[in-house]
Amino acid sequence: MNRALVLLAAIAVVLAAVLLPLWIGPFYTRVIQLFFFSTGLAVAWNLLGGFAGYWSFGHTVFIGMGAFSAAHIVTRLGPFGDGPLSMVLPILLSGLLCGLFAAIIAYPILRLRGIYFAIAMLGVSQVVGELINNLSWFQGGVGVFLQTPLPAGTAPEDFFYYLFGALLLASILIAIAVRKSRFGYALLSIREDEDTAMMLGVATERYKIMAFVLSAVLVGTLGAVYGYSVGYFTTYTVFRLDFSLNMIVFCLIGGIGTLAGPVIGTAIMLFITQVLLSRFLDIHLLITGAVVVAIILLMPGGTIGALRSWRRPAAGGGAAATETGS
Amino acid sequence: MTLFLQTTLNGLVLGGIYSLAAVGFSLVFGVLGIVNLTHGIFVVAGAYGALVLFAELGIDPLVGIVPIGLALFAVGYVYQRTIIQWAVSRASLVASLVVTFGVAMMARNGLQLVFGPDVHTITPSYSFLSIPLGPLRIDVVRIVALGASLVLLTVLALVLARTHFGRAIRATAQQPLAAELCGLNVKNLHGLTFGLGAAMAGAAGAIIGIVQPFTAASEVAWTLNAFIVVVLGGIGSPAGALVGGLLLGLINAYTAQYVGPSLTQAAMFLVLVLMLLVRPSGLLGNAFGESR
Repeated sequence: MNRALVLLAAIAVVLAAVLLPLWIGPFYTRVIQLFFFSTGLAVAWNLLGGFAGYWSFGHTVFIGMGAFSAAHIVTRLGPFGDGPLSMVLPILLSGLLCGLFAAIIAYPILRLRGIYFAIAMLGVSQVVGELINNLSWFQGGVGVFLQTPLPAGTAPEDFFYYLFGALLLASILIAIAVRKSRFGYALLSIREDEDTAMMLGVATERYKIMAFVLSAVLVGTLGAVYGYSVGYFTTYTVFRLDFSLNMIVFCLIGGIGTLAGPVIGTAIMLFITQVLLSRFLDIHLLITGAVVVAIILLMPGGTIGALRSWRRPAAGGGAAATETGS
Repeated sequence: MTLFLQTTLNGLVLGGIYSLAAVGFSLVFGVLGIVNLTHGIFVVAGAYGALVLFAELGIDPLVGIVPIGLALFAVGYVYQRTIIQWAVSRASLVASLVVTFGVAMMARNGLQLVFGPDVHTITPSYSFLSIPLGPLRIDVVRIVALGASLVLLTVLALVLARTHFGRAIRATAQQPLAAELCGLNVKNLHGLTFGLGAAMAGAAGAIIGIVQPFTAASEVAWTLNAFIVVVLGGIGSPAGALVGGLLLGLINAYTAQYVGPSLTQAAMFLVLVLMLLVRPSGLLGNAFGESR
């Protein structure tokens, strides 16, 4: 594709997103805000799960840690001035704290592969969640408050719409930068065949840890902002199994390991669950499950994989199948 | 001292149930290489089946194990030959993880629609009796549950070790291609193994129904428990499941008694993570050797 054309299209999309809240009502502003948040999570998960092939089933641990860090930083280290700018420091610190935690557990936990890594991450998220819930210092059981210093005259949904939108844009740019760099190719080589990559001189250990930490920082930052957006939360508001699984499902539906996959997948899935099925709450899980199963069976490469094999039928099934390979 | 012994006893009894609930998961993981996230659904379905049989027809849950086991065997066989088989051949082994997760979500929602979100228990006539054992006490239902678990685990171990069917399953686990070259119908065996795993899970569910309250949402816990048991004990063998299950039961009971009942989940997962880091193949290793 023509580079200038892509760039123009991207600028047009960003401009449209900036102007959109002027036309749509608060409900759809919230839906799109949720879309920005979820897509940001999926893009961050995709850095590790999609590029390096390490499927984490417990990424919600970073959402929870980010949100709780922000709350405790604000209440214990005191206010950092007035106005929306006072949010900057707690959010950044929370993201970094998540990155630090990831760096500490990275070396032992990234020695595990495949399904064992997935479940170990699930274990980490459960342990951290239970600790925050049960140790009274963290106040996870009773809940914590995190007030947003809104700028005067701005509705909260508009404010968080732009905040999540900006974070999503940053995440996508980071993902593009990673994908086009030597770092990105190293991660892809780890996904395709870690042992061979190591033998060829790729510093797999270092790159895996870098991807893990980067992913944790992004998810932690989003988690801190999510904490602000809900205002009051307990452990189970932010340590949620369905957050962890949504990140995987969104990537899977769009196309794991691709740049646009997480965005497309989140858009499809949120459209189905939030817009089409917003009135059928009691069969929500049923439909979500059915969509997941149908996608895996019918389009194992996700939407992107299906489009590619449709455009190049000769390379069809095989290309789509390797796309999802672990 | 009495408290410690009582806690140990409770832990062992609980562990026996964990073992039975996990052995099917372990078998499927070992032979097919699939982490079956629908496993908890089979357990809960067994419990609901026992509840229906008991409430509508007055059949004791322990007798109900037979029809429940047969029904879940059929369900498991068909499920493996269709959805799981398609997922593995069309996508990948990891994709089967997500497919079984999707099916589990659907099934949980379905169970909730049919039975409602309430917590259920099965109360046969002997459910409030208990026997003194020196200074200790033990409920009759728990003894019955433990006994039934041990019997079923032993039967499974004998089937795997001594029968032609068991040898065929083990051969398939070690070398699917070689097993096929020797004239075994590997696809059929995979289906049968999966059905066997589902039947064991259903039987465990029927027993769990008389010991513990259950809801459709508790399937997640049973799937995770099964995974922890397998990681602790080792993949694929009834003995591994027994060791892992008893350990998990003890960890659970000691944590609840001495640390705090709300921290049992954290303790279980902490042990899981540590175990994965120290000895990922479990205490007894993989029953099917170097196959994977």
